Amino acid sequence: MSACTPKSLASSGQKPIQEMCHPLGAEEAVLTPSPDVRNITSSIGEKDQILPNGTPVETSSPSSSSSLLNRLQLDDDLDGETRDLFVTVDDPKKHVSTMETYITYRVVTKTTRVEFDLPEYTVRRRYQDFDWLRTKLEDSQPTHLIPPLPEKFVMKGVVDRFSEEFVETRRKALDKFLKRVADHPVLSFNEHLNSFLSAKDLNKRQGLALLSKMGESVKYVTGGYKLRGRPVEFSAMGDYLDMFTQKLGTIDRIAQRIIKEQSEYQVELREYGPVYTTWALSEAELQGPLEGVASCMANCSSALDELTQDMSEDFLPVLREYVLYIESMKIVLKKRDNIQAEYEAKLEAAAFRKEEKASCTQVPTDVEKCHDRVECCNADLKSDWDRWQNNKRQDFRQLLTGMADHNIQYYEKCLAAWESVIPLLRDKQPQETETEED
Amino acid sequence: MVEEGSTLLRRMEISVAEAEKRTGKNTVNMQEIFTVYLIETRPIDAITEGHNPAPDSLWRRYSEFEILRNYLLVTYPFIVVPPLPEKRAEFVWHKLSADNMDPDFVERRRVGLENFLLRVASHSVLSNDKILYHFLTEADSRIKALSATFRVKNPDKRFTEMKHYSDELQSLTSQLLRVRARVADRLYGVYKVHGNYGRVFSEWSALEKEMGDGLQSAGHHMDAYAASVDDMLEEEEHYADQLKEYLFYAEALRAVCRKHELTQYELETASSDLISKKQQREELATGMVRTFSFKGMTNKLFGQETPEQREAKLSLLEEQIVQGEETVTEKTVECEEYVKGAWVDMQRFKEQKDRDLREALIGYAVMQISMCKKGIQVWTNAKECFHKM
Repeated sequence: MSACTPKSLASSGQKPIQEMCHPLGAEEAVLTPSPDVRNITSSIGEKDQILPNGTPVETSSPSSSSSLLNRLQLDDDLDGETRDLFVTVDDPKKHVSTMETYITYRVVTKTTRVEFDLPEYTVRRRYQDFDWLRTKLEDSQPTHLIPPLPEKFVMKGVVDRFSEEFVETRRKALDKFLKRVADHPVLSFNEHLNSFLSAKDLNKRQGLALLSKMGESVKYVTGGYKLRGRPVEFSAMGDYLDMFTQKLGTIDRIAQRIIKEQSEYQVELREYGPVYTTWALSEAELQGPLEGVASCMANCSSALDELTQDMSEDFLPVLREYVLYIESMKIVLKKRDNIQAEYEAKLEAAAFRKEEKASCTQVPTDVEKCHDRVECCNADLKSDWDRWQNNKRQDFRQLLTGMADHNIQYYEKCLAAWESVIPLLRDKQPQETETEED
Repeated sequence: MVEEGSTLLRRMEISVAEAEKRTGKNTVNMQEIFTVYLIETRPIDAITEGHNPAPDSLWRRYSEFEILRNYLLVTYPFIVVPPLPEKRAEFVWHKLSADNMDPDFVERRRVGLENFLLRVASHSVLSNDKILYHFLTEADSRIKALSATFRVKNPDKRFTEMKHYSDELQSLTSQLLRVRARVADRLYGVYKVHGNYGRVFSEWSALEKEMGDGLQSAGHHMDAYAASVDDMLEEEEHYADQLKEYLFYAEALRAVCRKHELTQYELETASSDLISKKQQREELATGMVRTFSFKGMTNKLFGQETPEQREAKLSLLEEQIVQGEETVTEKTVECEEYVKGAWVDMQRFKEQKDRDLREALIGYAVMQISMCKKGIQVWTNAKECFHKM
């Protein structure tokens, strides 16, 4: 979006850790960072503060500490038990080999779970590895919603795969993915996740695994059976997702339009300020005030730059990523439909056979198995749906609050600039230098 | 519009037929693009006789029209000289182009320039001017020379500087107004687009259960934000008006400086007139020809005049010299008084200008502060709504 050299995400006046409320405490208490996993963890040099449940916090304005509490309380409601698995994705690094160049990310795990041998792990993973993990999860937990990954393929030449902006956007998405998995009551206990987090080298067996995994998911998604009666609640979910996708699309377009309008405003603003500077050259007593106004406008201009950049880097990518999340949910719904359809077909077939062989009184076991699968799937889906809805609510609260924050900061910067120029405008200093007699 | 019984216009058909873009080097030797206008003239009797000859034509640019008008202003100070169309596309906001190269603007200007020429050519006094005639018919650089020859030799330096300043002030305030209008236009766009958030949040809130209320109220704040820009920009027009006042003031300041130039010019003309008359007297009295003159040559060739003729000439010259000395004295006094009076008022004007513009800038800053505070308020409200989602 911006023409200047891509820079890392602008950190905007966060509170130091000591000033943040303890999530489990009612009042604001002074915290000292402790190795205890339940307290707020943060790694040095990282831009985002992290809460116990692993979600990042944007503390950009003084009022955010109360919002912090709100967010945390909701998370605690989500899962009654205290958390015991924390994951982070950070520290992207470029690797150059003879064959290829790629980025790896550091994955840090802290846990008290017995399923893990050690309480802490640090490994390096690349996008391929995340992709592998996701596929494995899909295969082993076909009835569950697996969170999405950021887009795999990027058009070379259109986007710089190694620019700071792109890498940072991807890192955040990968971090989100892993956190969502780690929060999931079922997925987080998956053995593949364990390997991913702890193993020195992932034994991926790419070739064969690829082929086999294709088979599995395809089977579940396309099925071959026609669905008779979909329960109303699942239809409602599908409808909701469709409408929600539409709304997101609209919001994306509006956000883009705003960025465009702001850029055009910026162009004019950049021409406006200098006219005051030029005028100042012709003036004597007014020189100071005019130059003051010009520099004020320059400040507002750079504040606007930051706002536009923040929106491009923070807001739009997260919004777009949600479309992927919706897609994942739709796929799960479809899988469920197919499982139900398969069951219905088998049931019908069994009914026919029953008519032919009057002696058969009990329901065949494979039909029963199918029925169980349907019930299981429905239950998993419902719980995943609730979780998804809650995540969505949190995510959008965070996203929109962030947008409000960025705008507030912009106006605060402009306000400061204009307020500081008022005394300059009012102050009439006697001219010391020799000026023209006019 | 055109007076009956006009002189030049009766003899000649005048029109500004076309406009074209040209590139060339300007006074500081930099490439520039400018527009030239085609002046076409045709003698009316040729047309009435049914010949319909091709018109004479020449290209002139706007600045040449300006030089002509300035010349007319000074040469006929008692005449209300017709104005020229806008030098630059003036301060428009909302869509109208502010570009001097815009075809609509160029066309409007073409019409304005033609109108100017028709008015001047139909004026009973102005239409007889030789320079005007040359402007319309001779494609030489006499116009350029005109602006040079007509220059004053010894103007008061302060007035020259003040005139230069008035040009700057005019140009700068004009530019400032133009850019400010464009900035306002863009700002309007930014605010209004946010209104779309209002609508989509409202639609989205209908889909949601718990998030619905927060979204809905946030949407209302976005609507309020979008609507707030109208009043803010309306207020800013006051600032624009203050600038405009000084734009036009600059013109008045310039007129004062030009008037000084005129009185000085008249004084210089009267003085040099007197000197040449005194020289002639000396030549006649002593018989010595100091400078070459046609009269002197004819005298040599065809014989000198009689003593009576010489005596008559001498006494005439003496009269003229006495008159000339009176004129010079008058003009000198006039000049000095003008300089004194004008300078006092120019100082007053300067102080007023400094005061007024300072106040205008303060007012503008206050408006910006108010706008920022409103912005903070709205987004803080929206943020609270988002919290409740």
